[in-house]
Amino acid sequence: MIAYLSNLATQLAIFGILAATLNFIVGYAGIFSIAHAVFFGLGAYAGAQIALLLVPDVVLACLFAAAIAGGLSLCLALPALRVRGEYFVAASLGLQMVAVTLFAELKPLTGGIGGLVGIPLPTLFGVPVGVLPVALAALALVLLATALLARGAFGRTLTAIRDAESAAEALGKNVAAAKTLAVGFACAGAGVAGALYALHTSFVNVESFTMEYSVLVMAMVIIGGTGTLWGPLIGTVILLSLPAGLAFLPFIPPSEVGAIQQILYGLAMTLLMIFRPAGLVGDLSRGRATA
Amino acid sequence: MHIAPTLRRRGLLAAAAGLPLPFVRAARAQPSGEPYVMGTLFPMSGPNAEYGEAFTRGAQLALSHIAADNMLRRPIRLQAEDSQALPQPSVVGMNKLVNVDRAVWVLVSWTATSKAVAPIGDRAKVIMVNGGAVGPDLAGLSPYFWNVIALAHLEVPVMVGYLTRQRNVKRVALIYVDDPLGDAILGQLRAELPKAGAELVGSFSVPRAAQQFGPVAARVRQTRPDAVYVASFGGQQSQIIKGLRDNGVTQIICSYSAFSIDSVRQLPEAVGALYTTQKLDFESGDPVTRRFAAEFRARYNQTPVAYHANYYNAAYLFGLLARQVEQAGGEVNGDALREAMLRTRSFDLVGGRGTFDEQGNLMTQMQVNEIKGAGRSEIVQG
Repeated sequence: MIAYLSNLATQLAIFGILAATLNFIVGYAGIFSIAHAVFFGLGAYAGAQIALLLVPDVVLACLFAAAIAGGLSLCLALPALRVRGEYFVAASLGLQMVAVTLFAELKPLTGGIGGLVGIPLPTLFGVPVGVLPVALAALALVLLATALLARGAFGRTLTAIRDAESAAEALGKNVAAAKTLAVGFACAGAGVAGALYALHTSFVNVESFTMEYSVLVMAMVIIGGTGTLWGPLIGTVILLSLPAGLAFLPFIPPSEVGAIQQILYGLAMTLLMIFRPAGLVGDLSRGRATA
Repeated sequence: MHIAPTLRRRGLLAAAAGLPLPFVRAARAQPSGEPYVMGTLFPMSGPNAEYGEAFTRGAQLALSHIAADNMLRRPIRLQAEDSQALPQPSVVGMNKLVNVDRAVWVLVSWTATSKAVAPIGDRAKVIMVNGGAVGPDLAGLSPYFWNVIALAHLEVPVMVGYLTRQRNVKRVALIYVDDPLGDAILGQLRAELPKAGAELVGSFSVPRAAQQFGPVAARVRQTRPDAVYVASFGGQQSQIIKGLRDNGVTQIICSYSAFSIDSVRQLPEAVGALYTTQKLDFESGDPVTRRFAAEFRARYNQTPVAYHANYYNAAYLFGLLARQVEQAGGEVNGDALREAMLRTRSFDLVGGRGTFDEQGNLMTQMQVNEIKGAGRSEIVQG
């Protein structure tokens, strides 16, 4: 049981990092990216390759993954500088599709659809270490950085851009730099999550970085509450724990287990959005439809 | 940043609501003398749920036979987890099966999910048996990972031999998903067709999620093939077959064992299509096969196919091995079951006597089947 809970907690921490970093650009900067799984994937492949080719040092893998994902965040930042709203959603959708195709085709780097297998268990300075403590530490760092950045001038700039980009620019805010930095931070964080995921599962392939996962992480942010510190984390806990919890329902016959779980899962999410439209931690006055 | 004053309370409540509380009770309910737990990790929802249901039926029938024959001193409980055919839910499900349910035997499927869960089973020394995925890279994944299905590289030569000798096929085109399975089949066709005096006249890679095949069908027609080999799986197979027929490709369509699902066999456009499976003559004199076929039809009102038989075998094998371990006075665990398998190697299973190699791959004879329509297929080469 402890091992199971430990695995679940590790996945919660990893997806918590993903949700928290996506929330940074969605909730604070108003950049609605549905390509976050791309940077998760970049980090996973980078971390996996470090572990396979050099050494499975978890810190080294995370740093390399953050550098790769953060560096390539320009792919997302560039369209974010030119388009907003639904147009940016379409642009990020295109990025997601291109990236998934590349992940499937760049076999020397990603193993193609077959993926990378046999990723060694992580170490820290040569000592074997579990992914859970590292993931929790990384999550804490991401949340701390988010809180500090959001509370400072940078956070206020991002909020201003989110609420009225033209007004922020007119007031002398460097919109391009702020957006680029925000996207870079979020994508680097997603890269760290990816490296941890690769080291945790010992296997990565493109199926973990598809549009479904981008949407799942977006749902975590929205259900928890965008623009809040703890909301995405709570959304993560709910969206990952609910299916895990439903698996314990003893009355579901084996052949119907998937369908019933998915129905209950979807129903719970729908009800949640009806009664908490701004997310669990979000401002109650936001999100409701008005006549 | 909006941090409400009641955040901590809300967060705790939300977390408590999301956490699966029954964990604690389940963890304590594993004293010795309780049923053996056999896990299944199949796609039970989403576009591949059809496979999961078929796999489960085969396993359920095997468990009922094990119980009816009083093969074991303890009953077996089937614990199903939904893999969704995706790695992440599979890892969660496998961890639950291994660490909470204490499964000693897990039936798995799908290449990517098998690879994702293999390290978990390997560390926990839990036997994982695959009867659905045919990616050749599944051989040797772990000493505890076995295959009761012929992997793709064993199926292609059989089809090539049949096509060239019985149907006088000289030109073959391939439509394949660019994954390890598709790559393996491409390599096999390139190697085997020239040996049989035929040639691969075109190979067309399609994305895994593609559903429109008009342009591919047009390019296939340009190659003027005598047969088109389809290396895909799931619902996409039916779309490819429809796409080919709708666009005027009238030549033979053939594939590997993935064609044995109902959605393909019931497709009017698939009539005449050929596919390979391991040898499964349900009318044969073999008592295990006859019993399986008769009771499967009676129980599910359906003619069994290769996948039903594979997962019957995968589950029934547990009964055979666990009985050996019990009779020797040992504890039924992964190591003991593996030792029993390596000691015995050959077992009477559905389809006849099957023999495992050292890596845990079942070596069986193959057959070629032809789809006759309305869900029926017929053996055209046994």
